[in-house]
Amino acid sequence: MKISAKEIQLSYGAARILNGLNLTTNTKEFVGLIGPNGSGKSTLLKCMYRVLKPDEGYVEIDDTPIDAMSYKESARKIAVVAQHNYYNFDFSVREVVLMGRSPHKKALERDNAKDYEIVRQSLEKVGMTKFADRSFSTLSGGEQQRVILARALAQQTPCLILDEPTNHLDITHQLQLLKIVKQLDVTVISAIHDLNIAAMFCDRLYVLKEGQIVAEGTPREVLTSKLIREIYQVDSEVVNDSKGNLHILFY
Amino acid sequence: MKLTVRRKGKKKTVPIPAFISALVILLSLLIISVLAAITFGNAEISVKEVYSVIAWEIFRDERFSSYASGAVHDVVWLIRFPRVLLAVAVGMGLSVCGVIMQAVVKNPLADPYVLGISSGASLGATLAILFGFGTFLGSNSVGIMAFLGAVATSFAVLFLSKIGGTSNAGRLILAGMAVSAVCSAFSNFAIYLANDKNATSEIMFWTMGSLASAKWENVRVILPIMILGTAIFWTQFRNLNLMLLGDETSVTLGTDLHKVRGKYMILSSLMVGFAVYAAGVIGFVGLVVPHAVRMIFGTDHKLLIPISALVGSIFLIWADVLCRIILKNSELPIGVLISLIGAPCFIYLMVRRSYGFGGERT
Repeated sequence: MKISAKEIQLSYGAARILNGLNLTTNTKEFVGLIGPNGSGKSTLLKCMYRVLKPDEGYVEIDDTPIDAMSYKESARKIAVVAQHNYYNFDFSVREVVLMGRSPHKKALERDNAKDYEIVRQSLEKVGMTKFADRSFSTLSGGEQQRVILARALAQQTPCLILDEPTNHLDITHQLQLLKIVKQLDVTVISAIHDLNIAAMFCDRLYVLKEGQIVAEGTPREVLTSKLIREIYQVDSEVVNDSKGNLHILFY
Repeated sequence: MKLTVRRKGKKKTVPIPAFISALVILLSLLIISVLAAITFGNAEISVKEVYSVIAWEIFRDERFSSYASGAVHDVVWLIRFPRVLLAVAVGMGLSVCGVIMQAVVKNPLADPYVLGISSGASLGATLAILFGFGTFLGSNSVGIMAFLGAVATSFAVLFLSKIGGTSNAGRLILAGMAVSAVCSAFSNFAIYLANDKNATSEIMFWTMGSLASAKWENVRVILPIMILGTAIFWTQFRNLNLMLLGDETSVTLGTDLHKVRGKYMILSSLMVGFAVYAAGVIGFVGLVVPHAVRMIFGTDHKLLIPISALVGSIFLIWADVLCRIILKNSELPIGVLISLIGAPCFIYLMVRRSYGFGGERT
């Protein structure tokens, strides 16, 4: 599945947050968004998953404008793992993941054995099977994030949008979560802070600065000392390790 | 209970059996409570006489024809029975609306009265009692004015929360508090100006709630409305669950909640309006019942709505029975009694179980 954003513009009051952005993914590609805080990564993603409506421009899924779809239809195409997930009520982990099935349900349809099986498999994929009966609010930040990923998996969508999904995770779980995502064989768009992680997992990167895309290409093409200084104002050295993987060292 | 229910879920099946049996048990308890509650009261009527009257009215069996009229018949059939059914309706309505309001504003502290509905109703009643507003509406002008007040305020709150942006949970609560303050100020101002001791005590009695004015013609309307409202909300369990995850998450899960939030508010304020019309302001039920049920059955609205409805009905029946028998030859206002028994029960549950009230569990 192909998802693209065309000429997206968005302002909050007088401040222009996104300034004519274009972004396209190919089927089953892992696309990363990098850029400093406030560069518009989250805002762009929110436009793509319909929480924000761009002032200008539009988002397309397989050449269909997303606004022509019902929310249910788009939720069957795109699942989201957002930054912050705090719930004011106690749900069990299973109940949270089961909600990932809602876009597949008619108004009065009950959850059936198939839904429960999908929930079980999703929890298994993220290694949270043991926690199914726990209350969501008692989990640690990292565990909660994995449950939210399981919920996105339960949606069984051909595209996944991640907004800095590994923010609260330790390095073990950062790698684990992204490896799970990488193995899914779906289109992924993810905002990522850590450039080394981005280099490791992404097929292609978009670099955002002040609401505009300033560079685009494979990690090897994009992540150069020159660009990193331009974007983040820090000095760095880009090296290859013994396996030929890209690493960025900061000074 | 919660643990056994959840454990069953591990076998890939819905924990339907436990839920169904809880429903059946509560439904039987409700029927038993209705039948038992009719036997309590100030008038000395034997249990046999009570059931003979009911048997006559329902089955029209000739054997009970001696109970077809007379004082006993009137007390049982025209006073006690509608009153118990009104308790069922009001308890059900307020509890379910509590569940809905808590979901709509995504705040575990919400209840049918937090969104200004109670003060709107009070203002309506105050105006009717003090200045005879709405006398053209007939003998129950106070109730009707209260109903109009409740519905008008909830529409006002809904409208205010939408000005200059989309309505969200926070704006709803703030609008509710503001409207509530304005209504209370007007009520108090009116009471102060009028300086009428009788009217003031009438207003006070009314704001403490009572089921004493139950009549068949009210019950016939209100009970079906409450049952229908509960049934409608029960079908919305999926949206209600999503509401607790917030608007953004709901959009990513395929539901735009802005539209349904307003509809739920309108339906629940109608239900609360009818409850207020028939029984005055009975606070706390809409807060205490949903939380008590959540502590045992969890937050899933598929279970929460029907069970809260049944528990709320049973709770209000027995609260009303206590009101009738605690004081000799007099009645305790039901609002007072519910706070008196409800609050300690609530605190007990809160302390005994690790229940987060939506926050972190301790």
